[in-house]
Formats: sequence, C-alpha cells, structure tokens
Amino acid sequence: MANLSQHKHITDISVLIAGKAGDGVLFTGNVLAKILKRQGWEVVTCRDFPSNIRGEATSYIVRASLDRVFGRGDCIEILLAFDCNAVFRHIRTISRGGVVLCDGEGVGAMPGQLKKGKTFHRFLIRQLAKDNFDQEIYKNMIALGALSYVLDLDAQIIQQIIAEMFLKRKGQEIVDKNIQALMLGWTKAEEMISDTECHALDRRQDQGRLVLSGDEAMAMGALAGGCRFIAAYPICPASEVWQWLAIYLPQFNGAVVQAEDELAAMNMAVGAAYAGARAMTSTSGPGASLMMEAFSLAGMAEIPVVVAHVQRVGPATGTPTKTEQSDITQWIFGSHGDFPRIVLAPGTIEECFEFTVKAFNLAEKYQCPVILMTELDMGQNLRTAREFHFDKIAIDRGRLLSQEELLRIENFKRYEFTADGISPRALPGMKNGLHMVEGNEHNEHGYRDEDPDLRIRMMDKRMKKLRAASKNLIPSKVWGDSKAKIGIIGTGSTLGAIIEAQAQLAEKRIKTKFLQLRTLWPFPVKEAETFLDGCRHVFVVENNASGQLSRLVKSQVEGCPRLRHILKYSSVPFRPMDISEKIQRALR
Amino acid sequence: MRKKEDYHLENPAWCRGCGLFGVFDALKRAAAAQDLDPEQMVVVTGIGCHGRLNNCFRCYGFHGLHGRVLPVAAGVKLNNPGLLVVGVSGDGDAYSIGQGHFIHAARRNVGILYLVVDNRIFGLTQGQVSPTTEMGFVSISTPYGSKESPIDGPRLALAAGATFIGRGFSGNVAHLAGLLEKAVKHRGFALVEVLSPCVTHNKINTYEWFRKNIYILQDDADYRPSDKTEAWKRLHDPQKIPIGLIYQETKPPFEELVLSDFHRPIARETLTVDAPRLEKIMEKFR
Repeated sequence: MANLSQHKHITDISVLIAGKAGDGVLFTGNVLAKILKRQGWEVVTCRDFPSNIRGEATSYIVRASLDRVFGRGDCIEILLAFDCNAVFRHIRTISRGGVVLCDGEGVGAMPGQLKKGKTFHRFLIRQLAKDNFDQEIYKNMIALGALSYVLDLDAQIIQQIIAEMFLKRKGQEIVDKNIQALMLGWTKAEEMISDTECHALDRRQDQGRLVLSGDEAMAMGALAGGCRFIAAYPICPASEVWQWLAIYLPQFNGAVVQAEDELAAMNMAVGAAYAGARAMTSTSGPGASLMMEAFSLAGMAEIPVVVAHVQRVGPATGTPTKTEQSDITQWIFGSHGDFPRIVLAPGTIEECFEFTVKAFNLAEKYQCPVILMTELDMGQNLRTAREFHFDKIAIDRGRLLSQEELLRIENFKRYEFTADGISPRALPGMKNGLHMVEGNEHNEHGYRDEDPDLRIRMMDKRMKKLRAASKNLIPSKVWGDSKAKIGIIGTGSTLGAIIEAQAQLAEKRIKTKFLQLRTLWPFPVKEAETFLDGCRHVFVVENNASGQLSRLVKSQVEGCPRLRHILKYSSVPFRPMDISEKIQRALR
Repeated sequence: MRKKEDYHLENPAWCRGCGLFGVFDALKRAAAAQDLDPEQMVVVTGIGCHGRLNNCFRCYGFHGLHGRVLPVAAGVKLNNPGLLVVGVSGDGDAYSIGQGHFIHAARRNVGILYLVVDNRIFGLTQGQVSPTTEMGFVSISTPYGSKESPIDGPRLALAAGATFIGRGFSGNVAHLAGLLEKAVKHRGFALVEVLSPCVTHNKINTYEWFRKNIYILQDDADYRPSDKTEAWKRLHDPQKIPIGLIYQETKPPFEELVLSDFHRPIARETLTVDAPRLEKIMEKFR
C-alpha cells in the first residue's frame, strides 16, 4: 500500500466514470458509492446517460464528502474513462492535480493546455479482463480495483460488498473471480500510479446512513405509508418507483399492474382508491399529460389518489434520461375545471420518504389527489440519507367510515355538506352505504344534478377542503441567515447546489437566506411573504427555461418584489458555482 | 330471493323506445336471478346515453370519464374481487375512445362483466357516426356519407383472447337476461355486446332491421361456443349477425394470478405499519 501520509487531508472528492452506454458505468459507480458510504462518507451520484441501451456517451459522477452534501459539486478529481473520447469530452471538467485513467491510446493528441496539471495513465481495462478472465465483463471490477487503489479504499469492505452482490445469486466461484479482478486492478494501478497522485480518503466508521435513490425512497415511503396498489406505465425516470413496489407489494398483500398506457394507469389507481385501497401511480411529463383527465376526475369525485411525478427534460419526448424542472406547474394549474389538489416537492432523500408517507394521509384526509413532484436528479441518483423511522408513522384514513359507523348512519351522503368540506366516506361492498361517485356535477348522494345553486355549494365544498388542509401541510424551510437581505427561492433537487452556493457566497461575505418550497400547492403564501419581506434581492433558482417557479411565486404573492431568474436548462443539474457566480455577478 | 325491483332506483329518462330500457331490464333480471346483494355490486359507466344507467340502477355506482370504464373497473375488481363489477359502455366509449383498454382487459382476463351497448351512433352528442356505423351512413358528422369501415367488437375480443363473448339484442330482453346470467357466472372477462337501437339518431339500424338481420346461435344445436374457429367464422358471416353465447373458454382470471390472497381484499385491509419487516427491507440500502 502506498504511503499517503504526505498528502493533504481530503474532505470532498468527485470521481467521474465515463464511457459508452453498455460499458457498465452505472454498475461501477453504484458499487463505488456503496463502498464510500460504508467507509463513513456522505455520497451523491450524478448520472448523465443517453436514452438508449448501447453505444452512446455516458458518464456518472460519484461524489464523496465528509460533510453532509445533497447534490453534485463543482470539481472532479478523478476520471476513469472506458475510451479516449470520454477523456476528450470531460477533460475540461477535471481539476488540476487530477488523475485520468483511460482504456485506450490517443490521449496524446490532446492540446497541452488541457492536460496541464493532470496526470494521464493508459489503463487497458478490457485487455486485462480478456487476458485474465476471458470475459470483458470483469473490466468493471478491475476498474473498481484501480479506483480503490487511488482512493485507498478499504479492501475488506469491497470484498464484503462483492459477496453480498454475487454469493447468493451466482456462487462462491464468481465471488472469488470478482475479488481477483478487483485485486488485479489494484495491483496494476499500484505499478502505474505514483503515491503523490493518490487521493487517499479517511476510513471512518460507517455512519449508519442509507444509500439510495429518490425513486427508491418514495417507493419505500409508499410501502410504509400503506400504499397497496400501484398501476403504472414504463417511463424514464419514474419506473423505479413502480418496479421497486412490484417486488415488495405482493409480500404485503398488495398488487401491481403494468397498465397499457398512462390513461389506464391513472384510472386504475382511481378505481383502486375508490374501492378503498391506498393507491398510486408513478410517471413523468408525457405520462402526466395523459393522466390529466383522470386527475380532474379524482378532484371532482373526491378520490384519494397519489402520483409520484419524476420530471425529465421536456417538452414532448424531450431528453428522457436527463433532469429538468419544467413540469412544476403541470399538476398545479393542469387539467380542466377547478378542483383541489396538493403538490409536495421533496428536496432530499429523507423528504422523498417522509413526504410520500404524508401524501397518503393527506390524500385520504382531504379526499383529493396528492402529487409528489420531484425530478430525475433526485429520483435516479443515489444519495446517502439518515435511516428511516417506521415506528413514528401513523396511518390516518380521515373520514373513512367503519362498517359499524356506517350502520349507525341514517341516509348516508357520500358528498355531505360539512363545515370543512370533507364528507364521510364509505366503500363499495359496505352495508348501508349505497351511493354514486360521479364525474358529473352531483348532489350530496353523488347523483347527477345540474341545479345552479347546488353547483355553487358543491364547488365551494370541494375547494374549501384546501383551506382545512393548509394547516396540515409541510411548511417551507429557510436555510442560511434568516436576516439576510439576499433571498434565494428554490424547490426539489436544486437544494444541494443552493446550500453550497450559500456557503461559497458566505466566504465572500455575502449573506443569503434560502426558501425551500416543500409544498407547492396550495401555495404557502404567508411563508413566502414573510421570507420576501426585507429582501433586497431575490433570486429564483430552477432547472427550466421559462422560470415556472418564479411565475408561480409571482402569481400567488400580492405585490411580489422583482424576482431574478437563475435558470439552467442544459439538462445537467446545477453546480454550486453556477448559482454563486450568477448571484455575485448580479450584485456587482 | 331478490326480485328485479330490488335493483330499481328510479325510472330512466331515455328517449321513448330506446334500446337501453331493455338493457336496464335485463341487467336487473340477471342480478335478481343470481340473488345478488345490491351492496355487493358496482356498476361503472362511461360517457354516453348508457351512462344514465347508474342513475336508475340500485347498487354502488361510478360514472367516470369517456372511454375509461375498464381501467376503473379493473382497479375496483383487483382491490375487492368479491364484488360483482359490471362495466357499461356505449360503442363510442368502448370501441372508439376506449379501444386501447378494451383489448387489454380482454387479454388480461380481468373479472369484469363488460356490457357494450351498441347503437351504431353517438346519441348523446346528437348523432355523429361511431366506429360501428355502416359505411355510407349519412349523419351530422358525415353529410356526404361515412367513408370508414366499421369494426366489430366481438371479433376484436376474440382476437384479443377474451374468455367470454356474447351478443344480445335489446329487443329480446329474455334472451339478453339469460346471456347476462351466464356472463355473471363466468370467471374472467366477459364481453356482452348488446345491439340496441337508437330511435332518435339512427333510422337505419332499427328494431325491425336488427330482427331481420340477427339469428340466435343457440338455435343451432350443433354450435359449440368452445370452438374458436367456428366462432371466428360465424362472426365473419356477411349475411347475418349471430347473437347468443359466441365463445367461452376457461382460463384463470387476472385477479387470481395477481393477488397474493384472493380472499383477503386489499381494499378492506386494516393498514398497519410493520416496522420490523420494513427495517429488514431497509437493510438493503445499507
């Protein structure tokens, strides 16, 4: 092992793994993320994948930090490239002092200034795999071995992870071969790479964190929150929610359907929720467009249904595998007619879990659709998170009647007028609860009724529920110096970059406060007003081209001050400096 | 034993002579013959004149969107399979806007009784052509005659793998009720298409026209509804429209395959948070 004592202490590092789709970039990165987490580091990954299975350029950043981080960083120190093109594509993003490992020739042709301050190594991973294992697939484990050497990772942890991955499914022989491949990569790297190039990371105790994606956290939240039915249609980047539940729901007496399209997915979830199950669907922009009609039905018929929306680059098919926040207003202002809806926006993995649990309670309490608004960066990338606490979860089914309660009611009215607009609910199959559920305007029993006065009362009854709900929603969170005169507003996965930008600005003696909008609808008007009060400059940070979030704020806050845009719609998530530099420039 | 009046909520308000009266009557009779508790029955309807059935049929009712009867009905059935779930659509609802769901419900074999009331016209929207309207038909949407060939629901259902395919005529309520009784007992997806004249907007496909053009399959003692090839042949007869039980086969219904415990309806579970089990699952993220 290298003597690493002379190196400066590393607290934050990013490794970029790059190649073509099909090279195993994701696998390599995910294993690296797990190793780093077990070694006590906080981890965030950032994928940049094409929308095809094989052949096109792909890259994956694995960031590790000793401090809590929530998004990608500014710099990349290590590049592991499965081909030379990947080096050409990414060399500009590699910091001085960085190390580049490349499977191939041709790096020499690169202009000198791009190479300055970085070291390059020809590391023929595929050849090593073929020569030693007769199979190219071992290249990923060899690559991991080399990275482990450069980062001085704990070999025992890696071997443990390999065993967890392969022992049960493939047997001891495969475990051994993978460990051999790992050690081969390590040894070859040791021969090639000098001590001074290494970036040795502290080996700490596992901090008890989890490492998972937002999609997985939402799925786990759904399972814990009592969701027992999901119908969905395959779509990037939301399928993981449904696919994770496809494994676990049947074990919890739940059911999963792959619907023929999103129209069916949403209507099945509506039917399931009407029948009495906690039901959901998961989708992204194009699917959400197809779900809009049934969303309106759920609002009108007061059906408690939950939708997990993981945003990708739009419009139309856009770039399905890249991140954006351009559907922010889709569920807030979307679909036909006026009806109540609740839109939540988690900004961390913990929030993905907690808000999903909460979504099911809110849906049943206020008998309306609840949307979880997130984006690919949160949904598909891995992040470390504090462990989830299940014993704190309470299931609140609102005014759902038990059979005993229903039997005591004379003349049950499904849409009874009440003070808060929330009516008692009975399920089909229950005794003494016969009623209609109507997409047409209806009376208290649910039967179609076009009387103009009744129409007003029914509309008011439905809309009134949001007033009751607004006391029970997830409050916005203010990060940073609450007395600062410079305000930043954001939502969802931009949280990580914004918090780090705040720290960068603080170093330049620019004090900021950041309003993380966690409930997008009903819009937290008072919280926004309080935040904006006393702000000299306000910046709204969002991953889209038109400033949807700032439009939302402006439409809801009377006399809203000038909001300045910080937009990014390159399909790549914000880096902290994208935000801090823009703010500094604007203040100059 | 229940009577058909037990399912009668109020008198329907369809046009005088509308085929839907026959459908309403036949469904009540079929339910009574099964002695079904109205509280154990859900009727899901789409948009069209048929959608008013909910207003007069006494049971749990769901009147949703145009063309989305089957996904809603499937959502109900999967979460409470003990209920009798009846979907009712018109020809526009089932074969035009809802066509995608139709073939998938058939191939999945979800346990829904699906009644498609076919009047070969869009009645509620004042008489435009539907996917089952004959070519050349002059309507408000086709002033120079329809240039499109009609499709046939039972043929599509057979091709898609439906396990029960029947066709009735709202002018023969006794026969239709008998067919519905069989369909109610069927395990899996049961399509019953009902030829049902629209007395206001379709002056071609009248009661008289249907009577002249249909025949009852079961009048032929040799007809076996298990014979798919023969069913296909009969459905392609250019002269006559067969009614009765066209095809039936035994196949496990979707809900029996999908649900881990068919007898423990998801919709009626008492939800609890099983913390130890969830913690064990969470370990995979360590």
